Amino acid sequence: MPPILESLLKIAVLIGGLMTAAAYLVLLERWIAAWVQDRLGPNRVGVPLTKIRLFGLGQPVADGGKFLTKGEFTPGHVDKILYFLAPMAIFVAAIAAFAVVPLGSVVLPASWGVGEPVRLAVAPGLDVGMLYIFAVGSVAVYGVVLGGWASNNKYSFFGAIRSSAQLISYELPLGLGILGVVLASGSLRLDNIIIEQARSGTWNALVQPLGFVVFCVAAFAEAGRLPFDLPEAEQELVGGYHTEYLGVKLMMYMVSEFLHMVLAAFLIVILFLGGWHFWGLTGSAEAVSWPVALLRAIVLLAKVMGAIFFFMLARWSWPRFRYDQLMEVAWKVMIPWGLINVVAVAAWMEYGVQLARPWNLSAAQGMAVVGWGVLLLCWLATTIIDPTASGNRPRRDLSANDNCLE
Amino acid sequence: MLDPRHILILAVLLGAVGLWLMLPRGGARGRAVGTVLGIVALGLWFSQSHGLGQWTADGMFFVLAAIAVVAAVGTVTSRNPVYCAIWFGLSLLGAAGLLLLVGAQFLAVATVLVYAGAILVMFLFVLMVAQPEGKASCDRMSWEAGISAAAGIAMVGVLSVAIGGVLAPSCPAMPPIVPPTQEELAAGVLDPHQVARLGGELFGRRLIAVEIAGTLLLAALVGAAVIVNQFSGRRHDGQSREQ
Repeated sequence: MPPILESLLKIAVLIGGLMTAAAYLVLLERWIAAWVQDRLGPNRVGVPLTKIRLFGLGQPVADGGKFLTKGEFTPGHVDKILYFLAPMAIFVAAIAAFAVVPLGSVVLPASWGVGEPVRLAVAPGLDVGMLYIFAVGSVAVYGVVLGGWASNNKYSFFGAIRSSAQLISYELPLGLGILGVVLASGSLRLDNIIIEQARSGTWNALVQPLGFVVFCVAAFAEAGRLPFDLPEAEQELVGGYHTEYLGVKLMMYMVSEFLHMVLAAFLIVILFLGGWHFWGLTGSAEAVSWPVALLRAIVLLAKVMGAIFFFMLARWSWPRFRYDQLMEVAWKVMIPWGLINVVAVAAWMEYGVQLARPWNLSAAQGMAVVGWGVLLLCWLATTIIDPTASGNRPRRDLSANDNCLE
Repeated sequence: MLDPRHILILAVLLGAVGLWLMLPRGGARGRAVGTVLGIVALGLWFSQSHGLGQWTADGMFFVLAAIAVVAAVGTVTSRNPVYCAIWFGLSLLGAAGLLLLVGAQFLAVATVLVYAGAILVMFLFVLMVAQPEGKASCDRMSWEAGISAAAGIAMVGVLSVAIGGVLAPSCPAMPPIVPPTQEELAAGVLDPHQVARLGGELFGRRLIAVEIAGTLLLAALVGAAVIVNQFSGRRHDGQSREQ
């Protein structure tokens, strides 16, 4: 197969899979929301013109059709070009990030005439896959900022300002959380990071729990999911940065938000939960025959579904942060934690072997002891110092003027 | 048939005039003419650049190069600062694509990450917050349009002549540059350990330069904090005096 054809095939499968997944994840999210709130949820849309309901599986198709057939109305007060470009920017960025997400690699049967193992990723040759995801993710901020600005609406603009500040702030803990993993595995390639975990048999979350916590919180914030969905904040900002959007453009924003969540789930699983590795099931060789490759893909996707399920449950478990609390969590808690994690991992990589020898621990055990110890210490220190408490005290400059209102 | 060097000079001159016409100089005179001249100049320049590669085989290079150049012109000729920033971002994406094309993956990704992802978003942030009520006329004008256009195009001209050997192998200004072989690339930018080597270089031999740059940024940050605090302090004083 010529390489260009292979790439096109992979891209087609990827985009088709992602779009379908996004549509049905919306349905899943509504089901889970209904389950959490003890109601039935969407269960009626099935085959049109019949009484077959199919548990509501027709709902995404109906939703998509509704979005597509809405009138393409452009408000008169918007900046036409940017209003048009912004949803495309975020949509392209959301899809492009998946180009380096690896599903493993497979050796095809010899009768197919393909000698080399096929890597199940669109851009398998990119050595800096982790940074690429970051770069593309930072381009996604444009979609939010420009959409809010081009809408020429105060609510949209507030949403955009909040959102960009939030996304930029949480990029730092996200990067710090990744740094520990990159240090430990010595590569920026996602498939190498998985293989490293499979070889040692210890998932990064077990030995770097602090990095895992920091990365998860930052990933929630980057995906704009509750409790970090300040950019939208329906109750205060009408709809946030996409207040003025409708039809296909609104759908692009919605799908992009879902894809961000899916990407965050993939990254959590790949970086910290072992990717396709599961003890006793998948082995640790780099390229395997297709049954094992299929098993690996299933394990990976099952883990990703688990992470997505966690995202969706979290949505109904915590109230939204206040904006200043959101920023304080990023700058006063998450970034110091991330820095401490990086320092701990770096110190362990440098001196770990000598430290572990007298205690008769293996490298992974010693790393886990250090990691959990650091997590405990950080937790205690944060609880005692409580850097976010000041935000809840009444502001002195305001309370002095309270009488003015009366 | 003209001498390739004459065509290059013609392209540079046309480009200078076109750029000057396109720059926002207070009025809207001759922007269309300037655009046409600029496109003609770009076409002439590219027509003499067959030394850089074949149109068909290296089509991606020419597409990305054209995007980078056109976006760069858009950056300096737009009237709305927000659009300037967007064009600048597009230009960076084109440049990053060029870097990716020659295999410098880390540089390409870092360009997008640092410039387009962090710095430019900050620009946009400031531009949007700073201009809630329309734009001041001084923001919409290019000062010293003639000198800027001449300087920019002179730069392009000097570079064109300097790498004339690459642009048009028939002009004998310089021996043609030999592109690196596959083995050299594999040992250089395509090496999987390239990022680790770069990090070692930055934090080993060039540690002091990196630290000085970091300290400079920290100083700028402290300066910004001082300026902000100065304003908020003044406001508090005013309030206390009223009481």
